[in-house]
Amino acid sequence: MNDIDKLVKAIDLAPYAPAQGPGARELRAAIMAEGRDADVREPRRVRRSRPRRLVLGLAAAAALATGAVLGPGLLQDGHGVSAAYAVTKDADGIVHIEVRDFRDAAGLQKRLRDLGVPAVVDYVPAGKKCREPRATPVEKIPDGIYDVPRQIPGERDGWRMRIDTKLFTPGQTFVWTITDLPEGMGSTSTILMNDPVAPCVLVPDDRPKMKVIDSKTRLATTEGGSLAGFRVDEKTVGEVRPEIEKRGLTATYLIMGIPPGNPGGYGELRRQDTPVGDDWIVWEAEEEKGASGKVILLVTDKRYDKNPVYGGPRDSVITD
Amino acid sequence: MTHRDRFEAIYDAYYPAIHQYAARRTGSPDDTADVISETFLTAWRRIGDVPEGERALLWLYGVARRVLANQRRGAARRAVLAERLRDELAADRPAASVDLEHVRAAFDELPERDREVLALACWEGLTGEQIAKVVGCTAIAARTRLHRARRRLAASLRRQPRPAILMGDA
Repeated sequence: MNDIDKLVKAIDLAPYAPAQGPGARELRAAIMAEGRDADVREPRRVRRSRPRRLVLGLAAAAALATGAVLGPGLLQDGHGVSAAYAVTKDADGIVHIEVRDFRDAAGLQKRLRDLGVPAVVDYVPAGKKCREPRATPVEKIPDGIYDVPRQIPGERDGWRMRIDTKLFTPGQTFVWTITDLPEGMGSTSTILMNDPVAPCVLVPDDRPKMKVIDSKTRLATTEGGSLAGFRVDEKTVGEVRPEIEKRGLTATYLIMGIPPGNPGGYGELRRQDTPVGDDWIVWEAEEEKGASGKVILLVTDKRYDKNPVYGGPRDSVITD
Repeated sequence: MTHRDRFEAIYDAYYPAIHQYAARRTGSPDDTADVISETFLTAWRRIGDVPEGERALLWLYGVARRVLANQRRGAARRAVLAERLRDELAADRPAASVDLEHVRAAFDELPERDREVLALACWEGLTGEQIAKVVGCTAIAARTRLHRARRRLAASLRRQPRPAILMGDA
């Protein structure tokens, strides 16, 4: 048997542990710019179709959907700065940026430089990219120097980021590229580079198509879900569990926080794999997309007068 | 320790292992990159669920395994990767050894469950108990599967006209 193990070991396609390259480090930063499940504290109402969300983009970018935006020329706010973006600097040297339209890249770049951020901002139309390489990326990126752009909560089209101007070393430039993608999507890439940074020369974009990251979960109880055909809402955990087992699934419990008066909507207190009591109440079941065999039961420890997920009966929202 | 610190520590400690796990089981740098990114994205989102110590790695393997299963099903391929990471991975890929093609072929013909436990034991170097945690079965079941898988691979190699030249001396 030992020989068999040796043979299997010999056909290992990746016998050596790889080190983290710059791409791996960028990935880490991009992941951490994402929201975590536990960050969802605010009561939320269930949406019937969640907006698709782009997450990691080209070169560790966060991305957004560009909707109907007014051109910068139409949005002068009287201070000579377009309201397509807002850039402020606080007393600690932190620059806060909110951008709603990227097409005025030159104006944004000037504003950032005025505030002490050594930035190069380029706008790249769909189907193009900047000719690479433009510069060498900085290997050791200071912790906290900037956050990868993320969406402004509650807005579809805006991005927000912060940059700590105190952490820049002379000779480094913050290279920010904003790219239009087909279907009204956009992506942005932020890379800290060593000077000199070559100007952006537009060339055709021959890179693989960017893929869209969809929202994390879907209902498990509607057509195509792991629990399709089985209603869980307003049942007890004890009533639901046998069906989950029968279908060969495992359950995770999302403990819901219900605002006073149960106005509709809920927050997430925690998630656990440890089963909750059989007398707990299930309000809905979700699952990660791609059918992982795991369903997420949305539960409370007691019964409420109406389903917090739907602000009333499930039937008023979902028609199977 | 904040969630951020914890995630960074986990990422830095286990990136090589997860990268290797993915590279061993995917056909292209694209797919490898997808598995890595999606696995760690899940870990970040569920950082509170990631167990302490060495069990964190087994947990990550478990996630990567499901990501891979989804990828194989061709369902909802979601992750997007830095182009640079993809290039890094492309440069890393070793060429297959000609001598071992028949072993590779026999291995590839094993049922998926056999391949999985053998790979976890021989490539990741996991014990039966650890394999059980990754695939979600009992330790006894994992050891049984492993035993059967070894036996089937040995039988398949014996059937092949070409001798397993590395036997006993690899």
